[in-house]
Amino acid sequence: MPDKDSCATNPRTGDVIVEAQGLTKVFANGVKALDDFSLTVCQGEVVVVIGPSGSGKSTFLRCLNGLEEIDAGRIVIDGVELNHSKKNRRAIRTEVGMVFQSFNLFPHMTVLGNINLAQELVRGKTRGDATDTTMALLDKVGMAERADSYPAQLSGGQQQRVAIARALAMHPKVMLFDEATSALDPEVIGEVLGVMADLAREGMTMIVVTHEMGFAREAGDRVVFMEHGAMVEQGPVEPFFDAPAHERTQTFLQQIV
Amino acid sequence: MRARINTLAHVAAFMTVLGGLGWLLMRGSDSLNYPWHWERIPDFIYTWDEQGFTPGPLLEGLWVTIKISAVSLLLAFVFGLVTALLRLSDSFVGRFLARVYLETIRNTPLLTQILVMYFLFAPLLGLDAVTSGVLALSLFEGAYGSEIIRAGIVSIDKGQWEAAHSLGLSTSQTYRKIVLPQALRRVLPPLASLAVTLVKDSALVSAIAVAELSKQGAIIVARYWLTFETWFTVAALYLCLTIPLSLLALMLERRIKVRS
Repeated sequence: MPDKDSCATNPRTGDVIVEAQGLTKVFANGVKALDDFSLTVCQGEVVVVIGPSGSGKSTFLRCLNGLEEIDAGRIVIDGVELNHSKKNRRAIRTEVGMVFQSFNLFPHMTVLGNINLAQELVRGKTRGDATDTTMALLDKVGMAERADSYPAQLSGGQQQRVAIARALAMHPKVMLFDEATSALDPEVIGEVLGVMADLAREGMTMIVVTHEMGFAREAGDRVVFMEHGAMVEQGPVEPFFDAPAHERTQTFLQQIV
Repeated sequence: MRARINTLAHVAAFMTVLGGLGWLLMRGSDSLNYPWHWERIPDFIYTWDEQGFTPGPLLEGLWVTIKISAVSLLLAFVFGLVTALLRLSDSFVGRFLARVYLETIRNTPLLTQILVMYFLFAPLLGLDAVTSGVLALSLFEGAYGSEIIRAGIVSIDKGQWEAAHSLGLSTSQTYRKIVLPQALRRVLPPLASLAVTLVKDSALVSAIAVAELSKQGAIIVARYWLTFETWFTVAALYLCLTIPLSLLALMLERRIKVRS
């Protein structure tokens, strides 16, 4: 388990940036989605979270930027604690980008409008500055020609690439990917995973919930296996996949490969 | 071909019903022995002589109705929007107040509200008849409008809120830029229907002596005994306002259907 020392001593990573301690979340229907779950992530690290459905992976991501409220535990992101302070929560949300399974683009705005919006409203950029950033990012995700399209005119893969660009436009310190390719047709999954792998290579800190083990192997630094809202096992990618320690992990990996 | 015959059959059925209604009306007026004087009606609408065009009482009333309706519509929208937002807010007091307003308005007659506004509140606030009428009317329609707007807001996918929040937008920014533009577009057709209701309900303001269309009609009837001619004409003038609004509602509904 990485801590302040191991983050600093690892040549590939920087200081601790995400600290989640003892997270517990019980839904209104009594389901315990998170059960004393802890995770520390270093700057520049790509952590892939896997586990069966209902294991609390998505809930964990959603707690990290305050979309779900935790019942117990502590979340600190880049030195800011996520608590009842609205100011802190907004600060964290501004620094943490999130990509959703269902894209969640704003359907009444063009691609350009979608990506400019928060830059202008939250970062206070001028329209021109925001557009410059937007066009550079669209170029990066291969969508520059579609700046004036509406989301409904785009394929799922294209929408998701725009959604990634929208999150990146805030220059986030951490990116959260919540099953970003699960709603996509098989033939377009690759284009989205490609964009994500590029980001990982550029040193973006990423926490990725996914079922794509190929991506985990290629782009991940560390894999976390969750079940029933708790961590079963975690470790660097190679040993994790080649020789998982836990019996439950072995069965899970056999089932999905 | 089949569809063509079907359409023709529908037209025939429609004409039969219309003809039947017309016949009933004729029989009714025959048995009443009512002395029709349609020729006197145009003068109440407008006169055209050496002095040029002069609007009659009915046209003047129509203009007042238009003004009352337009202002009430605007105010009703504001009341409706604020109430909808309060009902969906985190504030207990806000939700409670919105609920009390909504239930009071929805469960009492509009006529009572207009009279209470004019005789109880207007003297305290120094309002004239037209203002208290407009206020009562917009409070009434605003209550119904709030339910429409609220339905529109809650119909917006939760993912839109989450995406906006995850980008750091505040709740009010999310409402303004993301949720309301989509929600209001979605509820434009029922809001346009509410506008039609509002135009018709504005007739009740005549109870506090505002010289709108119905009041002018009532004055003519009282003075010249042209009961049916006047009220039919008044109805036709209301139709001139409500039919375009209904068509607008229909058009909006079609356009939104095509989009989604």
